[in-house]
Amino acid sequence: MIVHPSPSQTSMSDPPPTAPPVPMRRYEGMASWQALRARRWYAVIGVMMLLTCGAIVFCLQFGAHTLTMAEVWSALTFSTAGREDVARVIIWDIRFPRILMGLFVGASLAITGAALQALVRNPLADPYVLGISSGAALGATIGLALGLGAIVGGLGLPLFAFIGGGVSIVLVYGIAISQGRLPMHQLLLAGVIVNAFCSALMMFATSILNPASLYKVVLWLMGTLSAPSIPALIGIGACLLIAIVLLLRESQALNLLAVGEDAACSLGVDSDRVQRTVFFVSAVLTGAVVSVSGMIGFVGMVVPHVVRILCGADHRLLLPVSALVGGILLMVADTVARTVVAPAEIPVGVITALIGGPFFIYLLMTRKYRFFA
Amino acid sequence: MSQRALVSTICSPLPAFEVRQLSFRYDSVRRHPFGDRSNWVINGMELTIRQGEIVGVIGPNGSGKSSLLKLLTRLVRPQEGTIRLFGAELGGLSRESISRQVAYMPQDLSYDFPFSVLDMVLMGRFPYRRSGLWNLVGWERQEDLAVVEEAMAQTDVTHLATRMIATLSAGERQRVLLARALAQVPRVLMLDEPTAHLDLNHQLDVCRILQRVHAQLQMTVLLVSHDINLASQYCDRILVMKQGTVVCIGPPQDVIHPRVLTEVYGCQVLVDTHPDTGLPRVSLPAQDRHQTVAASGML
Repeated sequence: MIVHPSPSQTSMSDPPPTAPPVPMRRYEGMASWQALRARRWYAVIGVMMLLTCGAIVFCLQFGAHTLTMAEVWSALTFSTAGREDVARVIIWDIRFPRILMGLFVGASLAITGAALQALVRNPLADPYVLGISSGAALGATIGLALGLGAIVGGLGLPLFAFIGGGVSIVLVYGIAISQGRLPMHQLLLAGVIVNAFCSALMMFATSILNPASLYKVVLWLMGTLSAPSIPALIGIGACLLIAIVLLLRESQALNLLAVGEDAACSLGVDSDRVQRTVFFVSAVLTGAVVSVSGMIGFVGMVVPHVVRILCGADHRLLLPVSALVGGILLMVADTVARTVVAPAEIPVGVITALIGGPFFIYLLMTRKYRFFA
Repeated sequence: MSQRALVSTICSPLPAFEVRQLSFRYDSVRRHPFGDRSNWVINGMELTIRQGEIVGVIGPNGSGKSSLLKLLTRLVRPQEGTIRLFGAELGGLSRESISRQVAYMPQDLSYDFPFSVLDMVLMGRFPYRRSGLWNLVGWERQEDLAVVEEAMAQTDVTHLATRMIATLSAGERQRVLLARALAQVPRVLMLDEPTAHLDLNHQLDVCRILQRVHAQLQMTVLLVSHDINLASQYCDRILVMKQGTVVCIGPPQDVIHPRVLTEVYGCQVLVDTHPDTGLPRVSLPAQDRHQTVAASGML
């Protein structure tokens, strides 16, 4: 999926473990080679963006009614302007918002997962480890239980979920903070505790719900991208953009923190500030994502690992590429989810796990992945 | 004062570190109501480290050696006392300006993430990074890369550049960490147990690199070690610590003395002379004589 401009750079990020010692002369021009690395960043990001655009157009074709490429193209370029066109309505009003939502949600989950894995120095971390998602789910459940899902123009449910997420951010932070610092093991524990607590409350709430509301809650928890509202789309897009900028600013600091906190501080990383920034950015983004799409599993944990196998652990490259790969994965998974049993749908979380799991196993078995070494 | 130390004193009037009345304890230790100072890790320490010397810090476990290094790099703040780095109050310096002057090589790092050796060494340029709107992620500039290349050549890890850090042997990792520290272009290099877990040959490697770097760049080196013989052989001065205070500091010939070591470590120690270097050499007595001082009541 990632394009390596030349073989020498491929070996840089992931050398074959049995490679014989490489002759010295190969690195004589390391400085110029390294300049290429910065250029490679733009190349890889550019290629990934093109791939993303390709994936969008590809996904626009499929759904309950399959369109031809020509129909998609004419609808996208408004060459049928003036005429009421079925394809145009399908694409612009139904599929495009949904695909964009898939892109945003997938990107958010993947970039958050990548950042959190480095922050807590744990390969099993994912966006839901912070406990924010359970808070959001609890909020949504309460909203549904009170029958307030449809208020504020259909935004009631996301709004309740986001409030729930916000409360749990404050809770987790309040539990984890000690003497002005944010110790990572304490953050993880606080996340686990808030998760358990909110899950218990949510189970209680679902146990007293009526069957119709219960079904809605269960569907929502499984995660779905159907019928996104435009304000939600804009909101999540804005959150994602800000998060990407803030996380990229800290990406080199995350590299250092992933290796060791004391060592990072001795290299000039303000670890308190970086940890706090990454926590809040991840927490808010997770809260926003869960509010609009429910709990879509798997993307946030596995995409960073896949990207690490393909292009190394440097977070300056890992974070943006994870975002794009996560976006593409979720778009495609959602297209599959709404196509295979059309006009019915499969929950998209099922598809992400079904596609991603075996793929990840394949990568683990074919290439020597050194995460747990 | 040895001639070399004298020269360095003349060349540089400012000492690398000047520590006055330094006291420190970890916050988690509860304050004792009656002013008991036993839980202080560093207790009223006075210390001057001259520019360009190699100082070895020895002492039993829990004597505050690692804490001293952390204090000197400002990883932790002292409760009392002052530390001056080349004449400037350490508390008044920014993190980045400290890390441009002092490199700290920690005892242990996490190698879970698949970073390459080059990734690792490039991290040493972090205090010099310049990120802006067009370089959001802070890519290294040409001069950074030249420094990194030089540092890798000096510690002989250039041929490992593309290897994953997790696949290296302990000795190679140590050299990579040394390269990372050198990439900071520090004036002071601090090492926490640089030769722990290394076999003899790799110990020798690390020490040779240290000596070479010290000779070429006039770097001040401060190293914590449990290996007294190694410290004796490579250090200009040795600092002996016990319970957060300086027991004595001076050239190996003066400091490595059976009485000092027995007092500090609490067990009997034999000191003889190294056949090649003429420096003191430490060994433990035979098993039947190896008793604690308290039990035998010898002193």
